[in-house]
Amino acid sequence: MTVRLFYDLIALVIFALVIVFGVPALMGFDGFELNTFARYLALGIVSLALALSWGGAGLLNLGQAATFGMGSYAMAMHLKLKASGGTLPDFMGWNNVPELPLIWVPFHSLGVTLLAGLLVPAFVGGLIATFMFRARIAGVFVAIISLAFLVAFQLVVIEQQGITGGQNGLTGLAPLTLFGWSVDTYSVGFYYLVAGCLMLAITLGLYLTHSKFGLILRAIREDADRTRFFGYDVASYQTVIFCISAALAGWSGMLYTLVLQFASPTYMSVSFSLAIVIWCAVGGRDSVIAAAIGAILVNLLEGRLSDVFAEGWSLMLGVIFVLVVMFIPRGLHGLIGDLWHVLSNGSRKEGHPSNKSDMQSKPVETRQEN
Amino acid sequence: MDVILNQLFAGLSMASILLIIALGLAIIYGAMGVINLAHGEFVMLGAYAAWAMQTHAGFSIIVALPFVFVAVGAVGWIIERVIVQRLYHRPLDTILATWGIGIVLQQLVRLSVGAESRFVKGPEMLSGNTQIGGLFMSNYRIFLIAFSLAVLMATWALLTRTEFGMKLRAVIQNRQISECYGIEAKHVYSITFAYGAGLAGIAGALITPLFSTVPTMGTGLVVDAFLVVIVGGLGSLIGTAAASALIGEATALFSLLMNDTLGRIAVLAGIIVLIRFRPRGLFPSNTGR
Repeated sequence: MTVRLFYDLIALVIFALVIVFGVPALMGFDGFELNTFARYLALGIVSLALALSWGGAGLLNLGQAATFGMGSYAMAMHLKLKASGGTLPDFMGWNNVPELPLIWVPFHSLGVTLLAGLLVPAFVGGLIATFMFRARIAGVFVAIISLAFLVAFQLVVIEQQGITGGQNGLTGLAPLTLFGWSVDTYSVGFYYLVAGCLMLAITLGLYLTHSKFGLILRAIREDADRTRFFGYDVASYQTVIFCISAALAGWSGMLYTLVLQFASPTYMSVSFSLAIVIWCAVGGRDSVIAAAIGAILVNLLEGRLSDVFAEGWSLMLGVIFVLVVMFIPRGLHGLIGDLWHVLSNGSRKEGHPSNKSDMQSKPVETRQEN
Repeated sequence: MDVILNQLFAGLSMASILLIIALGLAIIYGAMGVINLAHGEFVMLGAYAAWAMQTHAGFSIIVALPFVFVAVGAVGWIIERVIVQRLYHRPLDTILATWGIGIVLQQLVRLSVGAESRFVKGPEMLSGNTQIGGLFMSNYRIFLIAFSLAVLMATWALLTRTEFGMKLRAVIQNRQISECYGIEAKHVYSITFAYGAGLAGIAGALITPLFSTVPTMGTGLVVDAFLVVIVGGLGSLIGTAAASALIGEATALFSLLMNDTLGRIAVLAGIIVLIRFRPRGLFPSNTGR
C-alpha cells in the first residue's frame, strides 16, 4: 500500500464518518435540513467527476454541465411520465404535441431511466472525446470545444420546447418509487441514499486514480507525447476517462433532479458549468475527495451566506475564487498537503537537527504545463 | 432577393460588433496566451460607462468613446497588474481567474447600478436609414461597420508601424531575448492588456443602442468573441476579421434558412468541427510562441 493510498483511505473514512454520522446528528436528523445537505452531496459527485478528467488527466471540460443536464432530464422525464399517469405530460399539450415523442417512451421504465442517465452522458461524452482526442486536441482547445458544445446543447434543449419543456424545464414531477419505497426527499432515508451514492462515486474515483489506469492518465497529463512514445494509446485513455466523468456527471444530475424536484435548462448554462469548475478548484483538482468537499463547502457557504448578504454573496464567491486560483492553485487539498509537510518537517528538525532526509521529504511540486 | 440582401447586411453589422470585441481578445490571447473570460465584462463596463456619461453628463455615445476607452483600459491595466500578470506561466488557470474577475465585475455593477436594464439613445445624426433598392440600412449600423474597419486598421498600424508594436512583436516571438535587449516585457503586456480591454469598452459603448444594457450582457458575448478568435487563428488580425465576417454572415444566413436558435446551433456545430480540423485557425500566424 502506497503512502498516497493510505492517506486517501484515511480521508475517505473520516469523510464517510462525517457524512454518515456527523452531519445528520448536527442537523438533529431533521429531514428538511438534511434535504439541503443532500443537494450539496449530489453536487459533490459532479465536482469529483470533473476532478477525474481535469485533475487526473489534465482535460479541462467546461461542458460538464451538459452531461449533468442529460442525467437530470432523464430522471425528470421518468418522474414526469409517472406524474401524468397514462396521459400526455401537460406541457406537451400546451405545445400542441399530439402524442408522446418516441424518445420519451423508454422512460416509463425506471431501469431504463437509470441506465440512460448514466449511459447517454457517457455515450455523448465518448463521441465528443473521440472527436477531439483522435485529432490530438489538447489544453485550451478541449476547454473551448466543450464550452461550445455546452452552449449549443443548451440551445437545443431550450429550442425543442415540445420535448423538453423549453425554458421552463420539467416541473410537477412525481416522487420516485425505488423497489416499492416511495422516496420522500425530505426524509432521512433519502439523505442516506444520496450520501451512499456519493460514497460509491468517491470509492470508484479513488480506485481509478490509484489504479494503473490513473497512473497512465497522470503520465498523459504531464507529457502526452512521451506517454505516446511508450506505446500507450493516449486518445483511448483520454476518451475512457471522459466517458466515466460524463457518466458520473449524469448520475449527479439524476440525484439533483430528485432533490430539487424539477429539471431546468439553467443546469446546462455556462455559469453553472463554470461553477462546477470553481468547486473543483477550491477543493483541489488532484483529489476526488477534495473536489467533492469543495463542492459541499462552497454550496454550504453559499446557502448560509446568501441569506445574510443576498447579492453580495456572488461577489465574495468571485473574490474567493480569484484568490484560490492565484495563491492556492491546488485548492484546499494542496494547501493542507503543504501545511502537513511544513509541520512534519518542522517537528522532525527539532528532534533530529542533522536529519538528512529533510531534503528528500520536501514536497515535490508537479506543475501542470498545458 | 431583398430579404437575403437585408439579412446579409444584418450579418455584416453583427460581424462588425463581433470584430471590435474579438480584436481586443485576439490581441490579449495572441500576445500572452491568456484566455480572458472577463472580456465580456469589459464590454459590459463600456456599456455602463456610456450609459453613465449619457445620463449624467449628456454625452452622445460618439463623444463618450475616448473616455470609455481610457476608463475601461485603466480597469484592464489594474487587473493585469494585480492578477493576470501572476498567471502567465499557467494558461489554463487564466481561464478560471478571469472568470472569477468577471463575476466580481458583474456583481460590482449590479450592486452599484442595479440589475434592471438601462437604455442608451443612439447618436441623433445617425438615426435615419439609407435605402438602396430594396436594401434598408440603418445609418448607425453603417457607421458601426465603418468604425470597426477603422479600429482594425488602427490596431494593425499600432502593431506594425509603431515602436510599441515592434516591442510587442518582439516579446511575442521571444520574451527572454527581448528582455536582454532592454524591452520591459511586463510593461508591454500590461499596456497590451489595457488596450484590449479598452477596445472591449468601445464595443460595449457602441452596442448600447442595439442591446439592452444589463450586468449579465457580457457572458454570451465573450463565448462568441472567443470562438471568433480561435477560428481566426492565434494572433492573426486578418484571421480575426475574416472569422468575424464569416461567423456573423453564417449566423445571419442560417437564421434566415431555419430560425435564430437553430441558426446559432448550426454555427456552433460548424465552429466545433472547424476547430477540430484546424485548431490553429483559418489564418495561423507564423510567429511561433
